[in-house]
This record gives sequence, structure tokens and C-alpha cells, in this order.
Amino acid sequence: MTVSYVLAAGQAQVGDLVQAARLVSDQVVALVVGPEAVAQRVAQAGLDQTLWLGEPGPLALEAFAPALAEIVRARPGHIWATRRPADRVLLGAAAAAIEAALVVGPTEVTAQDGLTLVTAPVNGGLALSTVAFTGPVALLMDGGAAPDGPAGAVQPVSGPTASIQLVESQPSVGQTVDLTAATRVVGIGGGLKAASDLPLIEDLAQALGAAVGCSRPVAEGLGWLPKDRYIGLSGAHIAPQLYIAVAISGQLQHMAGCRQADTIVAINTDPAAPIMAQADYVLAGDLYQLAPALTRALAG
Amino acid sequence: MTIAVIYKWAPDAQEASVDTAGRVDFSRAKAQISDYDAVAIQVGRQLADATGQGLVGLTVSGPAGGQPAATKAALARGLDSVLVLADDGLDRLGPSAAASLLAGLVGQLDEVGLVLAGDSSIDVGARMTPALLAGQLGWACLTDVERLDGSASQWSAQRTQPWGVETLSLTGPAVVALSPTAAPLKAPGMKDILAAGKKPVRLVGLAELGLTEPAAGQLKATAHLTGPSRQGVVIDVSDPDAAAQALVAALGQAGLLIEGRA
Repeated sequence: MTVSYVLAAGQAQVGDLVQAARLVSDQVVALVVGPEAVAQRVAQAGLDQTLWLGEPGPLALEAFAPALAEIVRARPGHIWATRRPADRVLLGAAAAAIEAALVVGPTEVTAQDGLTLVTAPVNGGLALSTVAFTGPVALLMDGGAAPDGPAGAVQPVSGPTASIQLVESQPSVGQTVDLTAATRVVGIGGGLKAASDLPLIEDLAQALGAAVGCSRPVAEGLGWLPKDRYIGLSGAHIAPQLYIAVAISGQLQHMAGCRQADTIVAINTDPAAPIMAQADYVLAGDLYQLAPALTRALAG
Repeated sequence: MTIAVIYKWAPDAQEASVDTAGRVDFSRAKAQISDYDAVAIQVGRQLADATGQGLVGLTVSGPAGGQPAATKAALARGLDSVLVLADDGLDRLGPSAAASLLAGLVGQLDEVGLVLAGDSSIDVGARMTPALLAGQLGWACLTDVERLDGSASQWSAQRTQPWGVETLSLTGPAVVALSPTAAPLKAPGMKDILAAGKKPVRLVGLAELGLTEPAAGQLKATAHLTGPSRQGVVIDVSDPDAAAQALVAALGQAGLLIEGRA
């Protein structure tokens, strides 16, 4: 009988993990680190077992990595987790304990003739590959919604912990932007002539109710925007309803981060720029004329 | 005591190309020490100086990673020495295999209590090697760390989460992955580059360490990644205001704007 473990660290948004795990395993067991309320919510996913590591107290979620490794080592199976920092650490410990191969962002996982076939983006999203594994696989993907089925049993368990303590947590004072959660995003690229021109884009974003993102050079080379605003291969992978790419050429490496947007608008002076062939609406013109015009049109 | 920094001599995925069958080609991309790794080395240098420890770089690579160009590039960033596991077939390792072999390299060091890593590799980009390495070693692990202070076995880390700034304490051996903002990047100067040529380099192979290349899955197929199909509606921009109005009308009709706009 095959088993899959779904890791939940401090939050219960693991609905998609449970659903995917069921397709390739006879049993699905949740391993929950964090408050009991999270374990109870996870248990609503109709799992075979929900194991809860107990109230963390002063311990950081990552401190429970040795306990998870011990559980998985006793009965190896596939391991599923989200991309959040604590989940990655817990997944790493559990995967290393059983020498599981790692796959990030699987788009399809199937079981066939004793093999597990996993299709996933490679090199941050440059292409897709399908790989067959004979042993357990550790899979890192978006978690989906918190389950809302009938209440299930929560079984407390204990195990060794690492010495990592949360000393202090202070609410953010600066503005942090989660581009991956934004409904609308305006991205700015190398066609912007100066950092002092950014208000043109910020005004458009404000009129649109959108977050501001950028291509890699704007964040990492020019440093005009924080690095968490970079959309692309090694940056944010966004899937908003609307993405307006302003003065972004649309190289493969940028598109890897935004190709899942429902609607893409491209504004670029170069009608032959790659993004023009990958957009729903194409405006081959100057951002310095079109961005203010759009802001006015939205305000009007 | 020693502080170790894992790094990778690898080409940037930004420079890779993809053929029509979805095969990724790195042959024209130039290998380098990434900014992510440079930040980790810089933080390691600061900690090593502050605590009187040595700073050694660890890497697993194909033969190119053991060449002087590669080792000098790493050493010029501030490492005291490097230990390089370079062997045929270790070029395109996945994070699990890389972490397993890096754990073997950590085992070669005396009294190492802290392993630092960059936020991500520039070719694979999975952001999982530090966590897998910690799992292999049975050590504590934190990622996304923006500030790290401490002594031989007691560390204080700070990181920003969506809900705020966390301060954490770690005791005992640990693997810490650093955010790109953990240190300002400084390009090596001529003095650093010249000094790098005189620093110790230890090259080892799999056989020498008694290691074997970890098994990987079998590649069955490659393909292009695609997103939703696109409409490709061209809007005439000869009059910018009219173009903007046309776009806003289309977006409004598609229900993509905030209610009340357009």
C-alpha cells in the first residue's frame, strides 16, 4: 500500500496537495506543524490520517524538521509541500531522510507500472520535462485552498526537534507586495528611461488597482524596484487576471514568470518584440504617451 | 571552527536557449559565480572575520568547476580556500543529488558548525538545496535570512515574512540560506583577484571520497511550456488617447477592471 505525506506548516491551504496526492497513493497522511486549529482544518480534507506535532510554543516551524524526517523514514512515501520557507525546510528534511527525488511545480503526476511519472517545468520554467521515478518523490507546489469538508480526527504525535526559536515577530512597517496574489499587475521593463519616470507606471497601477512588478534588469541590475517585484524565471511567477507589460521585450525568461496570466496586454515601441506575439492586446507605441493616456482613460 | 559556503559554478538560466522539442541548451551560456552565491560568501566573510573562523567554499561540479577560472572566481569573492568535488557527470545535478554530495564534502571538514548558501542557484532555481543539505546532515535550517549574527554555535537570524519581520535564534550546527538583500554586492578588486590565485584549492573526485553519483529519475519527454492561448488583438496607437480608451473599453467588457471603471 503506497502512502503520500502532505506537509502543512502553520497554515491549512493544502487542498490541491491532497487532491494530487490521492491520484498516486493508496493512503494520504497529513503531517501538521503549528497550532491545533491548523491541524483541525487540515483534517477536514478527508485524509486517512492527520498527524499533529503539537503546539509549537516558542519553537519556529522549521524546528520540527527532525520529527517529520523520523516519521517519513519509518514508512517512506511521496511527500508534498507548498513553496513557503518553513514548508521547504520541512520537505528538505523529510526528502533527505528517504533519498526522495525533488520536483518543483509539477503540472501532472501519475502512477504507471510501479513508476511515478512527473511532468514539471525545468530550470525555473524554461521548458517542461516528464521524468519517471522508481522511488519516492518530494513535490513542491502551490497548496490551493484550505479544506472545508466534515471534521476529521487529529492524532497528536511527538518527535525530536531542532533548536530554532522564534524570539520576536514585528509587523511589517514598509510596504510589502505579494505579486503572486495580485489580481492585476503592471510590469515595467528596460524601456523606462529613468527611475524618476516610475511614477508614470505607479499612477497607472493605482488607477488600475494593480501591483507594480518589473523585469529582472529593473530590479537586479538597475535596482529601481525591490527584488521581490521581479517577474521571471528566478523571480515571481504570477498568474493574475490581467498583466500589463510595459516596455518589456518578452524574452523567454520573463515569460516564464507571467505566461499563466489570464490576459496579457503588451505596450512596446518595437512591434517585433517577442511579447507582442504572446499578448491578448498589443499596443505598439511609446510608454511615455500610452501609460499616461491609459491612466487618464481609467480615471475618466 | 570553520564556516562553509556552498556555491555553484553554473551558467545563468537567463542565457539558456530552448529548442523546438523543449530541450534546454546551456552550451552558449557562460558559467559564473552567481550574485546569490556572492552574497552568501560576503556574509560568510563578515561572520568569519567577526568570530575568528576560517571560511571555506564547497562545490559539486563537472570538471569545469575545478578549473582555475572557476576556483579563482570563487576565492576572489572572499573565501579562504575551496574544496571542489569535480567529476564527469556532475554538471547538471538536481538539488537532491547535489545536496547528498555536498553533505559528503561537509563531512571532509573539521569542526564546521555553519553552512551558508545563496537563496537560489541560477541554473536550476529550485531553492531547495540548503534544506536538503540540512536534511542530509541532520542540522537545523533556515531560509530567506536577511541578517545573521552570532558566534561558533549560537546564531541570531532575521527575515521578512509576509506578516512581518521575524528574529530567530539557532543553536548548534545549521544550514542558513541567505536572501539576496543580506549583503550589498561588491565586485572583487584587482587585489582580491591576484590573492585568489595563491589560496588553497583542494580538488577531489567521487572515488576519492568513496561517493557515487546519486540515482536520478529517467527522462521520458521534454516539451515547450505554454500558457493560455492569446487573442493577439492589435490596437491602433496613432492617437494614444483613443488607443487607451479602446483598451480600457475592451478590458472593462471582459470584466478585468475594478467595478465602476470603464
